[in-house]
Amino acid sequence: MNSNGARIAALLAALVLLPFVAPPYALHVAIVVLFNATYAAALYAVLRMGYLSLGHAGFIALGAYTCVILSVRLGVSPWLGIPAGGLVAGLFAWGLGALTLRLRGIYFSLAIFAFGEIVTALFRAFDWFGGPAGIPGVPRPAFFGTPLASHFAFYWLVLAVAVLGIGVLYRLQYTRFGATLLTLRTADSERLAESVGIPAVRYKTAAFVVSCMVAGMTGAVHAQYLMFVNPQVFTFLTSTDLLIYAMVGGLASFWGPILGASLLTALGEQLFSVGYWKTLVYAAILMIVIMLLPGGLVDLPRRLRGLRKAAPDEIAAPP
Amino acid sequence: MTRVLELRGVTKRFGGLTALSDVSFDVASGELLALVGPNGAGKSTLFNTIAGVSPPTSGRIHLDGVDVTGKSSHALARLGVARTFQLVTLFPEMSVLENVVQGLHRHTRLAMLGGLLSLPGYRADQRRVAERAESVLALLGIAGHMSERANQLPLGIAKLLTVAIAFATEPSLLLLDEPAAGLSHEEATRMMDLVATEVRKHCTVVLVEHNMRIVGRYCDRAVVLQFGRKIYDGRADGLIRDEAVVDAYLGVAEMD
Repeated sequence: MNSNGARIAALLAALVLLPFVAPPYALHVAIVVLFNATYAAALYAVLRMGYLSLGHAGFIALGAYTCVILSVRLGVSPWLGIPAGGLVAGLFAWGLGALTLRLRGIYFSLAIFAFGEIVTALFRAFDWFGGPAGIPGVPRPAFFGTPLASHFAFYWLVLAVAVLGIGVLYRLQYTRFGATLLTLRTADSERLAESVGIPAVRYKTAAFVVSCMVAGMTGAVHAQYLMFVNPQVFTFLTSTDLLIYAMVGGLASFWGPILGASLLTALGEQLFSVGYWKTLVYAAILMIVIMLLPGGLVDLPRRLRGLRKAAPDEIAAPP
Repeated sequence: MTRVLELRGVTKRFGGLTALSDVSFDVASGELLALVGPNGAGKSTLFNTIAGVSPPTSGRIHLDGVDVTGKSSHALARLGVARTFQLVTLFPEMSVLENVVQGLHRHTRLAMLGGLLSLPGYRADQRRVAERAESVLALLGIAGHMSERANQLPLGIAKLLTVAIAFATEPSLLLLDEPAAGLSHEEATRMMDLVATEVRKHCTVVLVEHNMRIVGRYCDRAVVLQFGRKIYDGRADGLIRDEAVVDAYLGVAEMD
């Protein structure tokens, strides 16, 4: 591969070796960063085709609850809970996407927002789903009989799932499928796409399903990490946080949302003890970035070089 | 001559407005047919109806002898109907070449899984598609603009690109909505020469055109619509002598 491939390989090696050098608290931060980076990459797959999802947390919650209910209520192996979480989230995304991806703009966003709210409301409403208190005692998967109890061991599972999720999303973006999704960004260009035989709704739905499967699968591991789940874990604020990560990182590159998620999550964990400060700081950073650096952090090097190129070059496929 | 397109009593109503009223005509294979009529006569509506964007309220549409009434736009594209739009419509953020590659969509395979797994068949297909796209651009004489961004093209090149995208689908029926409109005399001549020679060799063409000189010079036959009704169907060069057409259409031509 090229220098890009080499850079990714170096980053991966560093991430694999991290537990040997990092103290437990740093590993905790790294795990949360990996979760949020994967969610942000999943959201980006939808943003990239011109759709703003305000309810991605609903699909994360579906994956988390699927995994938790399977392992706690039905005694299924936590290992199976991870793909099951992805599948259930994907299944809902399929049904919802086929209906709502005919819509554009605010109509889609509000429909997905409503879906996210319904999901949490239902989990809150039924005792079998844990009600408002949620479900504690979520088991972690065991590796050769030993549960991945420590941060040290669990980190690798999180890393594996993040690499799988982000890897699939990355590769998909640079396939012809990923290029074709760019033809569906506006109503006009979608009309042209349809006229050359591109089944627009089917394509958008497929991309939405992949995005939500990654979110759901990651959500399942997230619940195992927390060892509980309740309706307050994945809310509308989670969905908007993902959006803030993506905007701060920048939408011109696949890595923008991942970068934004990593930096803001690492910062947010430091502010965790002071509660609502996190929301305030995120909001302030978002406003600053929107006003001073609308292309996000990935646009910073270009801005510093003083180059004002007209448009992002994300369409040029590198593989 | 086999018939590529048959319209039988095609009617389209939008609420109380009748945009097309009982329109029937055939288009023979290899024909170059002009669809003529004043603004609002229903030409673009007829294109949208044939191309599956909005199905007719009543009447039937046959393509290559098969009833395709009510089929969706992308399904019709796969059956061999391609079209351009009255307003120049491109994939604005893509290069000229990538625009035509998207036009080749129905001839590609393994878009998602093949690419994800980087299957050998997918890579071979990618190369074949790129080569095919380049040859389409060469045919229309715009291969030199291959790597330019579509939203930065001058109108003359942009309009040729819209034809290239549609032509890349390898249609049996190509619908061109005002291909020469807005172009200079030289650009319009270049466009129409290409349509009447290279493009026409490969498919049947129906085009909307206002310029009688162009219709008479390039087209075999003309169908004239007025208020959604067909008022003329005959030789293109006989158009100018038809009294109904002169009254209905040319009388208001200055107002266009």
